[in-house]
Amino acid sequence: MKAPLVHNERFVQIFAPLMVGVFALVCWQAAVVAWDIKPYVLPSPLAVGVSLIENFGVLMHALYITLTITVIAFLIAVVFGSALALLFVQSKWIEISLFPYAIIMQVTPVVAIAPLIIIWADDTTTALIICAVIIAIFPIISNTTMGLRSVDPNLMNLFRMNRASRWQILTRLRIPSALPYFFGGLRISSGLALIGAVVAEFVAGTGGAKAGLAYMILQSGYTLQIPRMFAALFLITLTGIALFALMVWLSRLALASWHESYLENEQ
Amino acid sequence: MDAETQTSPEPTAQAPGGPVPGGKRPVVDISQVDKVYGNETRALDQVDLTVREGDFISLLGPSGCGKSTLLRIVAGLSKATSGEVKWWEQDYGVVGQPGRELCFVFQSPTLMPWARLDKNVRLPLDLKHVKKSESMPKVRDALTMVGLGDFEGAYPRELSGGMQMRASIARALVTEPSLCLMDEPFGALDEMTRNRLNDDILRLWKERGWTVIFVTHSVYEAVYLSNRIAVMAPRPGRIAEELTIEAPYPRGNEFRNSDEYAEYCRRASHALEKVSS
Ligand SMILES: Nc1ncnc2c1ncn2[C@@H]1O[C@H](COP(=O)(O)OP(=O)(O)O)[C@@H](O)[C@H]1O
Ligand SMILES: [Mg+2]
Repeated sequence: MKAPLVHNERFVQIFAPLMVGVFALVCWQAAVVAWDIKPYVLPSPLAVGVSLIENFGVLMHALYITLTITVIAFLIAVVFGSALALLFVQSKWIEISLFPYAIIMQVTPVVAIAPLIIIWADDTTTALIICAVIIAIFPIISNTTMGLRSVDPNLMNLFRMNRASRWQILTRLRIPSALPYFFGGLRISSGLALIGAVVAEFVAGTGGAKAGLAYMILQSGYTLQIPRMFAALFLITLTGIALFALMVWLSRLALASWHESYLENEQ
Repeated sequence: MDAETQTSPEPTAQAPGGPVPGGKRPVVDISQVDKVYGNETRALDQVDLTVREGDFISLLGPSGCGKSTLLRIVAGLSKATSGEVKWWEQDYGVVGQPGRELCFVFQSPTLMPWARLDKNVRLPLDLKHVKKSESMPKVRDALTMVGLGDFEGAYPRELSGGMQMRASIARALVTEPSLCLMDEPFGALDEMTRNRLNDDILRLWKERGWTVIFVTHSVYEAVYLSNRIAVMAPRPGRIAEELTIEAPYPRGNEFRNSDEYAEYCRRASHALEKVSS
């Protein structure tokens, strides 16, 4: 049976926000034309699009740099964050001694310590990665730790009664119980890794062959190439959305078959 | 019908075909057990109870009288503050050895939501590193036994509450336990499902030669299932009275509708009222 598209939930979910976006762009374009706003104050969406095409090579290179830093930092955050969480649940003492430092790292603004890290690190790329890791790691640590602890107490009793080893309890009970929390952490952390990479590059202000999107924005500001600035900004946003979508997809892959949060999708 | 002409049972009369309390070896021997929790709650006070081979004994009492606490001590999940518990006349170390398996059925199904039913049921064997080729036939048997033969590949969320509970019973079956501990296993189910599961449990108890300690707050369930009922009183938790249900097994709807059953229920209710007031 062929139902009208408006009744298709997925279609509506994409279509409705898209319409809002198109409407906003049209208004924006109209406003720029109507009031004759100068491109160095507010470029029209069309001007931004043109700039995106004209500067495609440079922008893609910058995107590549920023994306590389983001992905490396995110992966490091995932590996170390999960490892720390696993360590925390093995011993209350380790958690008590280390967790405050994770919080300190989280609450210290990365902008404030980025200059120090840039001085200490051998090269700028390393420094940017370190800054992004510092921002991205906390949601992984805290979510995964909470997940590893949120085991059904009766299931734990069952494992204990069957004389399960520490290893069996970890791999067969704690880690699967933690998965929904872990994937929640991934969603937040992937966005934060991007923010970390961009913010740290703003502070570092490095140009040359290793210039990322943040530097592109800075430089466009200096030379009043505002459309290019917007184009770079657009790419950053797009990257963030793509990362988020990727995490949503991964978590669906891992959880959809059994977790309650995916039940509503089946009718 | 015989059941309707039957006179009210004599407490000392020995039912033909029923288990013979007193004659068999003790499976669990609890003597003078106290349990005081960290917050000074006296959950158990001088509890004495001997559970013998083939017994179906119910712990009946209002909530908070220490039924779960007693069961957890028997399961080895919690330690008595003082007093002594013996399993097959030995220390807890004997539990888990061949022929000395113990199983626990919780009030909630307690299944792993991320694992399909066969994996859930196989868990106790998996934890003992039993090979899959060896454990799978047992898993299928157990699932068939509880009427879930076709649901091997289902995730728990795809099953109703009663089916999940039966899956958790199947999980208890695969270890071939000789002592089965059940903590209000059917408390959250509707009357019909509960009655059906009660019959299933009685059948398994007979077929498998189990010894069962069954916690409930339902007088009807306790009388229907047990050959002995320990009525527990709260604050501090203790065994206030013991009843023997002499009616022969197998029991079915005939027993549920008999005067004998009604009389036992009256007695158990009376005992419960006394301790609750
Ligand atoms: N872990 C615990 N810590 C402190 N008090 C507890 C704990 N578990 C149970 N209790 C207390 O012990 C008493 C008996 O509890 P429980 O054995 O669960 O009773 P029942 O199963 O008969 O409802 C209650 O008063 C309860 O509050
Ligand atoms: Mg209880």
